[in-house]
Amino acid sequence: MTDDIRQLTAAVAADPSSLLFLDLAERLRTQRLYRPARTVVERGLERYPTLAAGFALLGRVHCDAGDHAAAADAWHEALRHDASHLEARKGLAYLDWRAGDIAAARAGLEALMHDRPGDAGVRLALAGLDAQSVPTADVTIHEDDAVLAEGTMLVDDAGMRLAGRLQRHGGADVSEAVAAELVGASREAARAARLLGLGAWRDAAVEAATGGLHVVPPTPDALLIAVRDRRTPPGRLAMEAEHAARESRVWLESQG
Amino acid sequence: MKPNFEGALEQLTRVRGVRGAVVVDAQDGIALAGALRDGEDGDALAALAGAVMMRLVRGSDAAGLGPARLVYLRGDDGLLCAAPFGGTLLIAVLADRSANLGLVRLALLDAVGGLAA
Amino acid sequence: MRTIEPWVTEPLERFLQESQARLVLLTTSSGQVVAQHGFSRSLDVMAASSLGAGIMASTGAIADLMGSSGFGTIVHEGTRQSLILAAIDTPRGRWLGLVVFGRETTVGLVQLFWNVLARELLARMPATVNAPPKRAETFERDLDASLRSLFGR
Repeated sequence: MTDDIRQLTAAVAADPSSLLFLDLAERLRTQRLYRPARTVVERGLERYPTLAAGFALLGRVHCDAGDHAAAADAWHEALRHDASHLEARKGLAYLDWRAGDIAAARAGLEALMHDRPGDAGVRLALAGLDAQSVPTADVTIHEDDAVLAEGTMLVDDAGMRLAGRLQRHGGADVSEAVAAELVGASREAARAARLLGLGAWRDAAVEAATGGLHVVPPTPDALLIAVRDRRTPPGRLAMEAEHAARESRVWLESQG
Repeated sequence: MKPNFEGALEQLTRVRGVRGAVVVDAQDGIALAGALRDGEDGDALAALAGAVMMRLVRGSDAAGLGPARLVYLRGDDGLLCAAPFGGTLLIAVLADRSANLGLVRLALLDAVGGLAA
Repeated sequence: MRTIEPWVTEPLERFLQESQARLVLLTTSSGQVVAQHGFSRSLDVMAASSLGAGIMASTGAIADLMGSSGFGTIVHEGTRQSLILAAIDTPRGRWLGLVVFGRETTVGLVQLFWNVLARELLARMPATVNAPPKRAETFERDLDASLRSLFGR
């Protein structure tokens, strides 16, 4: 069990009413521990029976575990509580595609594009349909695309990885963990900037003991995350992150 | 000996462009001390700075970068900069667009160094 | 969320989204429930409303003893959940808010967005004729009536 799962498990056990059950279930899902993930979400939904995000996550868990019927049920339930829920709508479009109903998948994604025209994940999925490639609910870029330099990652506003990956010193992949922690960072940064009179937010950074992290929003619903060790000075990291964000913006636009 | 929050915050407000500085308990988002220009809301600064800074630090923790020493957020019209010291406490500085990030950063690290000593 | 007065819905939804509060109860000082979110039973709402009003009244009495004008906001911090009781002085009289939140947010953020909510409610409140002052014995009757409305009974 990874440290973050252990910590989250302890936190949820200490406070069963905490919404951290969503984070815990998501971590378990990314570790392919589908049965415990499902248990965690279902227990959480007993306390929060109208939480659309919980049902959407349950759908993801079922889908990853191969139970597409249960995934559809969960996503429909999410939409019952929040008719505009992005992830649930994406998931159902994916299931349509998997079932061979390309027309229904396209209709679902096009409706999403109408509601969320800036969403990179939806654009990518539609592009995949057009190219008869494999759009998935978790849209990823093939490694060969080499969109981003090492130590740089692009995620959408649901915390889904779009391109690149991050590794810790020693090689462990921390992409999902970092994406999960920073999924709300763009919204919080935008809110803080707005309420404190800072205008539109441009970037943010952390300088830490062994390196630095820099985040830039190439579009309102994507986040570029760059991580370097301490050999890269903070100013240089900022420049590299800004450069990667510009490239990401161009790449995202080229997909749509 | 009681830390000299007021002295440290006053020094920070003398940096060009700084609108205000607060000592925040990031766990509560509550200001423990502040030095602010007229009209600035120290409670809002403390609450929002605490939340966004802790979110960013959790990201760097997940990346395995070790203890954070400085965090900043830049907007078109200014910047928010914070440095932790002592548990969940941090100093947050709010500055307008005339401020130089490098100078604010140095002043903040200096202030934190003085408080942690 | 359920509200008695529709104009409360939008500001309260914004408050819930920004503050990440788990439970919210908004009542008039006479016990009429204006809105609630997160409560699953009318009994819980009734208890929370009565207890909240009692706490505010008690602390008001302490403020009087201290020669103070009163406490606008009371915070109770727990290990897993915390509680804020806050008052809004409206043209219709004092409204009381009870907000429960967990560790996914902070006292500072909840208070910040409560203040925003209070300003929005005051700005949106429709003009109304001043109702006659309610007596304590009507508290329970008003509470029952608004609970029936909120829980659809």
